[in-house]
Amino acid sequence: MNPQVSGSPLWRGGSRSLCTFILLSMLLGGCATKSYVVLLPSPDGSVGEVVIKGEKGEQVLNQAGQAGSLDGRALKIEERQIKEDFGATIAALPKIPVRYLLYFSAGTTLTPQSESLIPKIISEAKTRPAVDISVIGHTDTVFTDPYNMQLALKRAGRVSELLTEKGLKANSMVIESHGKRNLLIPTPDNTWEPRNRRVEVSVR
Amino acid sequence: MLRIIVIMLLFLVGHAFGIEQPIGHVKSVSGEATITSGEKKIKAEVGSPIYQGSILQTGKNSAMGVTFKDETVMSFGADTVFSVDEYLYSPAQGNLKFSSKLAKGSLNYVSGVIEKLKPDAVTVRTKSGIIGVRGTQFLLRVEE
Repeated sequence: MNPQVSGSPLWRGGSRSLCTFILLSMLLGGCATKSYVVLLPSPDGSVGEVVIKGEKGEQVLNQAGQAGSLDGRALKIEERQIKEDFGATIAALPKIPVRYLLYFSAGTTLTPQSESLIPKIISEAKTRPAVDISVIGHTDTVFTDPYNMQLALKRAGRVSELLTEKGLKANSMVIESHGKRNLLIPTPDNTWEPRNRRVEVSVR
Repeated sequence: MLRIIVIMLLFLVGHAFGIEQPIGHVKSVSGEATITSGEKKIKAEVGSPIYQGSILQTGKNSAMGVTFKDETVMSFGADTVFSVDEYLYSPAQGNLKFSSKLAKGSLNYVSGVIEKLKPDAVTVRTKSGIIGVRGTQFLLRVEE
């Protein structure tokens, strides 16, 4: 025991109230540690950031394995505890979605390389329970907004047709058009850019 | 039992059809899990739809995994109550937001496209603090 503390009036005169205090803080501490966040690396290996804002302050977590209590304090959690608290949750995590990019030589004609992705998309879809698909059409910035909304929709429609023809069975398939409003390669207006003339297929 | 729903989503016309789009679907269930959307409460099964405002619940010794439209992936452990308060995913219009609440239980969260396109658009509320998410995976536990 620290002699400075043991010699203090608090320790001698109020041992009972100190015990209550220690017990209380253990209880409070125990409760607080049961509500917490742990940062993990993303499936691609990168580590992002989580910011916790609570009544005790703000915590920024940006290191893999870093933890914080939900009231905003830093926290040390042992791996054993994390496994105990989250084992079943982690085991239930669905397969991470994949996204394919298909490019067009002209109009709604896919490049041969992109067309060869169609069977790959279908076999990936088969590995997933109740697979959901989004087919999203895009254009480059040549021509007007309404024209490109239509063209991108036609591209997405064409890819969806191909997927269905080749035997894709999905729980849901949504076709969307982003026209020239969601460029892969940022360009000024009226710029010819083959990499922006694409359809994205999200397999979930 | 596979059904194919092909919905043509024309620019800005989506809402005019009056059909509410699912924002995600259940991918795995073990034990007892339910989804409450509006007045309707259904037993969660692989393929069940999730809507904006849905409340997801799991029972004792149960777990559930879901995947959202923007490729956000989540799983929930036992005795969990999670609700989707607001979910906006229209990149062409710049409408991007995902706010949710974990009332109790445990969550494994893997980021999707919304926060890649718009950092600070994703938050998870709990009774003691609010969590802002920027492109990552995390575990969250809320004890009652």
